[in-house]
Amino acid sequence: MSLADAFAAPGRSARAAALHAGRMGILGWATFRSLARPRAYALDTVGYAKQIGFDSLALVLLMGALSGAVMAQQTMYQLSAGLPREIVAGGVVGGMLTELGPVLTAVVLAGRVGAGIGAELGTMKVTNQIDALLTMGRDPVLELVVPRVVAGTLILVPLVMLANAMGVFSGYVTSVVILGLTSGEYVDGAKGYYHHGALIFSLVKAAAYGFAITFVACYVGLRASGGAAGVGRTATRAVVAIIVSIMVLDTVLGPVYKALT
Amino acid sequence: MIEIIGLHKRLGGRPVLQGVDLDVREGETLAIMGPSGTGKSVLLKHIVGLFDPDAGDIVVDGISVPTADRDGIAAVRTKIAYVFQNSALFDSMTVRGNLLMGLPPGYCRGRMPECEELALTALRHVNLEPEVLSLVPAELSGGMQRRVAIARAIIGKRRYVLYDEPTTGLDPVNATRINRLIAHVSREVDATSIVVTHDVESAFFLADRIVLLSEGVIQAEGTPEELRVTDHAAVRDFLDAAPGTRVA
Repeated sequence: MSLADAFAAPGRSARAAALHAGRMGILGWATFRSLARPRAYALDTVGYAKQIGFDSLALVLLMGALSGAVMAQQTMYQLSAGLPREIVAGGVVGGMLTELGPVLTAVVLAGRVGAGIGAELGTMKVTNQIDALLTMGRDPVLELVVPRVVAGTLILVPLVMLANAMGVFSGYVTSVVILGLTSGEYVDGAKGYYHHGALIFSLVKAAAYGFAITFVACYVGLRASGGAAGVGRTATRAVVAIIVSIMVLDTVLGPVYKALT
Repeated sequence: MIEIIGLHKRLGGRPVLQGVDLDVREGETLAIMGPSGTGKSVLLKHIVGLFDPDAGDIVVDGISVPTADRDGIAAVRTKIAYVFQNSALFDSMTVRGNLLMGLPPGYCRGRMPECEELALTALRHVNLEPEVLSLVPAELSGGMQRRVAIARAIIGKRRYVLYDEPTTGLDPVNATRINRLIAHVSREVDATSIVVTHDVESAFFLADRIVLLSEGVIQAEGTPEELRVTDHAAVRDFLDAAPGTRVA
């Protein structure tokens, strides 16, 4: 490989990243502008919210329960002798609200909802359904993107809350049944850690992740090409891009939370 | 009237259209014929603003499509219906939903009975029974899907109907049926039709006028009768090479 080639590859990647950022900005602006017409997307939004919520509920609850149990065990195993055992509950509540609840729920939905949206819009793109919408004078952003993004942003909030509640509850069961804490120790520890800021942070993260999952999936889906194989690649790309977005958001939001509390 | 003036387009670095000039007259059925991959569909997509030309202009009823603003493009699209090669039915919707999408956005709000009647009329035009209204596209055969796509195109009584390879992928029986249907609906809805096809039989059956697009330019133009007897080399080459040609 020549020196020129060595510099050309990162240059191409940077150019592609800049292009994606620009296109996402354009789609984001079009999405934002369409929010002013709620009558046009309200009904579809309710439908998608129901679909995302009901389809994902069992999985979200399961993930919440497992992560609460793991969190309780890991916190207990890290405890040095002499430290109060209530810390286990603090670890569970803090971990669930600020990190595991929102992030794991988002990752589950990235696979389930993000891949589905990417594949659905990708199929519409490669089978000319998007072009058909355009030729009929319809706005694909208003008809396809906005209802999904609004539904995802709104529905992730209650889903994350349920995951948090499930995690805290399973942390309680694990702590009391397996780790030997008393009920009072767990409740006192949980109360001691809990503060409204953590809950609000959890809600904000949920909404941000809900937006990221649906918006990135729509963006990737609308750029699909190449027939059935292309749709498959689009679904994979959507999941990867969503998970990267979630982790980037997680990294950015952490310091913001720290600064505000 | 649709006027295409000096249209140039490159795709993937390859020149596809290299100076296409074409007028589509009011009320006629124009067939754009030519080998696969010569830019027939690309030309059609320019008319509805799905592609921007590298150079040249497309004027629909006085509106320049490449330079039109959002409202201008919307105005052009309210005049044009487009039948896609693969039907492009919305597979998450029933046939009813697909048909109603052919009406202007918001048209059915508060007047559902009228819209239902329009859907039934459109179905009758394409010889489909009302029972299909509640089916989804996956439950229809390829020929039926194509007929629903045509019904969706004519339900809004638009001034121009563009057909992109309407018989591609169909067996000869269904292809003949679709050709007859296009001829019938063109008369019934009194629309100006442009049919892009590489199927010589379709072109000669449907068209009042045929143009041959090859190597990025219009090579020849005339009525079916004129092209049948022409000694234009490009036309003769195309007609002679077309499989199963029974019209030349």
